[in-house]
Amino acid sequence: MIIDELEKIKENILKELADVKDIKSINEIKVRVFGKNGVITNLSKGMRDISPEERPKIGALINEARVLLTDAIEKKEKVLEDEVLALKLATEKVDITQPGKDVKLGALHPINDVIDKLTDICVNMGFSVVEGPEIEYDYYNFEAMNIPKNHPSRDMQDTFFITEDILLRSQTSAVQAREMESRKPPFKIVCPGKTYRNDSDATHSPIFNQMEGLVVDENVSMADLKSMLTILMKRLFGEDTAIRFRPSFFPFTEPSIEVDVSCPNCHGKGCSTCKGSGMLELLGAGIVNPKVLEMSGIDSKKYKGFAFGFGLDRTAMILDGISDIRNLYKNDIRFLDQFK
Amino acid sequence: MKVTYNWIKEFLPITATPEDVAKKLTNAGMEVEEIVYQNQHLHDVVVGKILKIEKHPQADKLVVCQVDIGEKIVQILTAATNVFEGAIVPVSLPGADLVNGVKIQPTKMRGVESYGMFCSGCELGIDENYYEGAGVDGILILPNDMKVGMPIDKALMLDDVVFDVNITPNRADCMSVVGIAREVSAIYGIEMKKINLNYTIDVYDKDTVRDYVNVEVDTENCLRYMMAVIKDLKIERSPIWMRARLNAVGIKPINTMVDITNYVLIEMGQPLHAFDQQLIEGKKIIVRQAKQGESIEALNHNSYQLDPNTMVIANEQYPMVIAGVIGGTNSCISDTTKICALESAVFDLKSIRVTSRKIGVRTDSSARYEKGVNVANATLGLNRALHLVSKIGCGKIVRGLIDNCKVQNDYRDITVSLSLINDILGVKIPDNDAIRILQNLSIEVKRLGDKLYLKIPPYREDLENDYDIAEEIIRIYGYDVYDNINHNLFENSKVTEGQHHPRLLLERKFRNALIERGFYENISYSLVNPSSVDKLMLKDIRANVIKIANPITEDISCMRTSLAHSLLTNIAYNESVGNKELAIFECGRIYLTEELPLIKLPYEKDMIALAVNKENFDFFNMKGIIENLLSKTSVKYQLVRSKEPYLHPGISADIICDDRVIGSFGKLHPLVAKNYDLPTTIYYGEIDTAMLLKYSTKKYNATAISKYPIVERDLAVVVDEDVLAGDLLNSIKSSCGALFYDVNLFDIYRNENIGKNKKSMTFKIKLSSLNKTLTDEEVNKVIQKVLKTLNYKYEAVLR
Repeated sequence: MIIDELEKIKENILKELADVKDIKSINEIKVRVFGKNGVITNLSKGMRDISPEERPKIGALINEARVLLTDAIEKKEKVLEDEVLALKLATEKVDITQPGKDVKLGALHPINDVIDKLTDICVNMGFSVVEGPEIEYDYYNFEAMNIPKNHPSRDMQDTFFITEDILLRSQTSAVQAREMESRKPPFKIVCPGKTYRNDSDATHSPIFNQMEGLVVDENVSMADLKSMLTILMKRLFGEDTAIRFRPSFFPFTEPSIEVDVSCPNCHGKGCSTCKGSGMLELLGAGIVNPKVLEMSGIDSKKYKGFAFGFGLDRTAMILDGISDIRNLYKNDIRFLDQFK
Repeated sequence: MKVTYNWIKEFLPITATPEDVAKKLTNAGMEVEEIVYQNQHLHDVVVGKILKIEKHPQADKLVVCQVDIGEKIVQILTAATNVFEGAIVPVSLPGADLVNGVKIQPTKMRGVESYGMFCSGCELGIDENYYEGAGVDGILILPNDMKVGMPIDKALMLDDVVFDVNITPNRADCMSVVGIAREVSAIYGIEMKKINLNYTIDVYDKDTVRDYVNVEVDTENCLRYMMAVIKDLKIERSPIWMRARLNAVGIKPINTMVDITNYVLIEMGQPLHAFDQQLIEGKKIIVRQAKQGESIEALNHNSYQLDPNTMVIANEQYPMVIAGVIGGTNSCISDTTKICALESAVFDLKSIRVTSRKIGVRTDSSARYEKGVNVANATLGLNRALHLVSKIGCGKIVRGLIDNCKVQNDYRDITVSLSLINDILGVKIPDNDAIRILQNLSIEVKRLGDKLYLKIPPYREDLENDYDIAEEIIRIYGYDVYDNINHNLFENSKVTEGQHHPRLLLERKFRNALIERGFYENISYSLVNPSSVDKLMLKDIRANVIKIANPITEDISCMRTSLAHSLLTNIAYNESVGNKELAIFECGRIYLTEELPLIKLPYEKDMIALAVNKENFDFFNMKGIIENLLSKTSVKYQLVRSKEPYLHPGISADIICDDRVIGSFGKLHPLVAKNYDLPTTIYYGEIDTAMLLKYSTKKYNATAISKYPIVERDLAVVVDEDVLAGDLLNSIKSSCGALFYDVNLFDIYRNENIGKNKKSMTFKIKLSSLNKTLTDEEVNKVIQKVLKTLNYKYEAVLR
């Protein structure tokens, strides 16, 4: 009798559960089954009236029914909750194309970006980064660089003068002599900074940035220069970059060379960046003229050096595909915003 | 400089293509910037003879010509009026592509066919100076003896190839055809021909040079002065071969004597000057420094006031030439000159350079002198000129030469070491190759073990030591040896430790922080307009602007003394192009001096400056940014009201550290905003990064954090308007004592209900104890104490 009732309850509740559509109905069912006056609760209460012999068996059956129904209710509950969640997730939608709200990033100037990259590479190779004055004595900019007053080599650069002996440095090489005077070999330095020349057009800015490098040691050679610059250019422009030497003339180096770098844009095939040559003229370099070492108090019989210098504006232009040098100093946000 | 291939060949039996020569010269350090074939627009143009001229049946202005072009007779129509039967003329045939862009093809004009076109001098790219008749309005009529059918480039000697070579300042000896020929000789290992310096003198003529002219040198700046005399001059058009060469290198042919001086200048690199001997007052040449007050009218028709820094060639009365730079009109040769005194001199390069700069005249002569002409070259140049006089037959050379020479210049001996040369180069050049290269460069070589004993020719003044010789060897041997070397970086050197520059590192920190906050980095010209001082109302040391002596324009004529000018200019520029709502910064230098004119280097101060042009941005936004930057260092600072003239006096602050102002920030002064055409809502700030560097080593010293939670209380008090927030914050902090964790001013409220000249400030006070959870009672006790102190010190009342 109680067993029949139990079976009936199970059957009815399971059937009812199958049709339930919302959590609220489930809660009602829960109350009806397990609540204070719930059918199962009442059956349990009715155990008192059952004979002690039958009690264990009936108890087990009631318990079995309780577990079965609890399970079924929980399952149904889970199904319904999942449905509700799914519906919620399906309806809660944002427009992902709507702009974000954080502060927009600014941007580093492309020239300083290049300076950061180059100095990082050079520091790793054992170079120290130094600075020097932009307003400089004629002596450091020219004479100590083996460019005496009224010497034809002065024509290579149009210089801004302030007085007869004080000028705006026309090359970061001016830092070489200062460093040689104050340091003991062996040493390696690089010096990024502003330089000035009396020259202004689409490819020349009267103010531009250079980086000078100088190594003084007992045994350095053109071969070291080649290895060093190869690494520097590979790190800057990519591993498939190659460099090539061409003879040139600078009063402070002997031999003097121009260094061509394979065009990072076309990898040597020829394009508009390299004007079809596949190579870009980027650096001047050479073995430090022993006269320059001597003038700065370094024994040229014992020590040798190599030096290199290059235009950072041009490097940035090549690296970032900038075609007009004047944009580098206009500080137009529309331009700067491209270098985030 | 320009040289021609045929001219080079006169000194060197070379057969390589012009392109090969150009490439090898470039690879050896003589960069050939351009190769121009003179005849690139002369193909399909030949010499023709007009056999018959008839009227065009349909057109009054045209005639129909039958023209013999050698291989056949063609019909050509022309409108030119200077043609006649029997005339020899240039004929452009189908396929021709003339210098003016005209392309020739067979055409029909009013029903009659024309197989080409007669050419004027202009259409062939030549003028009257180069070729007689080339300047007439009409067809170029050629000499009768010209061979019919001959290509016009050959007929007019326009078949040369011109190289434009970039000569580096150390190679003055290459500023000549002979100089470049010597390089080509060394590169190819082909021996130079002997230069023909022969000339003839009339053995029966007893006249000698001194009968015509005497020379006195009264200045140290004249190293050598040579002179020859040529009489019975025939001043006329020089021969076509000479005109052809001059024309090819861009020099206008004038007459025999002038052309010879120019020819020798280009060929030998020796400037010459031809005087009309009869115009030399007193028949005496004096080389001296000019006297104060002297002047001269030069060949460019300008008058120049001279001074003792300028060297002149004078007669007994007055200057005739600004030595080495430009001749005067008072003594130059003309069509009527009968006797020429020909100067070949060498002057001190610095003297010529100074003069040329000073008077602003640069000539082919001065260009060579200021790079240095070798003393030995004067003889070579003068003899070559006399050879040409003799060859052309334009005058009679008078016996004897005057030679006033101060400096001897001969072969120099130097000794170099093969092993050192290899050490410098870092690659091993075979000894034999090295020696052969030097010999090809006309250097005599004697080897003894590792040592090379070298005899350097006088014109190679640039070669002094092992380094110079190393360069000679490698540039001819070829830098391509480095293309594939396998050399470990610094394999023979000591290890050095690389270090970033500490100030640049600090700057990098700041830059990155600002970029995160939406700032764009600027780099501006450090040269500015001097008006920047007035625009910023600067009065202190920053009013002393350092001026450039030779500026390009006023706008970039002096060194900036404040970054404010740069950033405000940039903001204004961006406003003008529609870039609003922006924040920018720059790391750069300002240049300060106590005294002007400069006698020592000024102080270059490294600054970081920020400027913001944004709505809803105020002093406290700026202050927050500055505080955040400063918190990246260990600097202890105070803020005081700013004295910066370009900032709003009430809405700005100076950052003080060790009693020094290391920066300031605030709202722009309205007058300054006006000066830059800016809205008044601009905020600006700057910090001296070099000063800050001292405090940039930040040391952390961690303290224990409490296990117990922080308790928060909000406290709103009403105070008088002029009570400072900073004072209240300090007071709260000290009242909280050991339980203080943090205090935050999060609201300021002004309203009539609160009272006139009153404000309500709401603080969030955070308390914490290391040992226990604070009870309400304990917290209330602290808050009461805070309130009591605020009330006592600032008359603050709880709102």
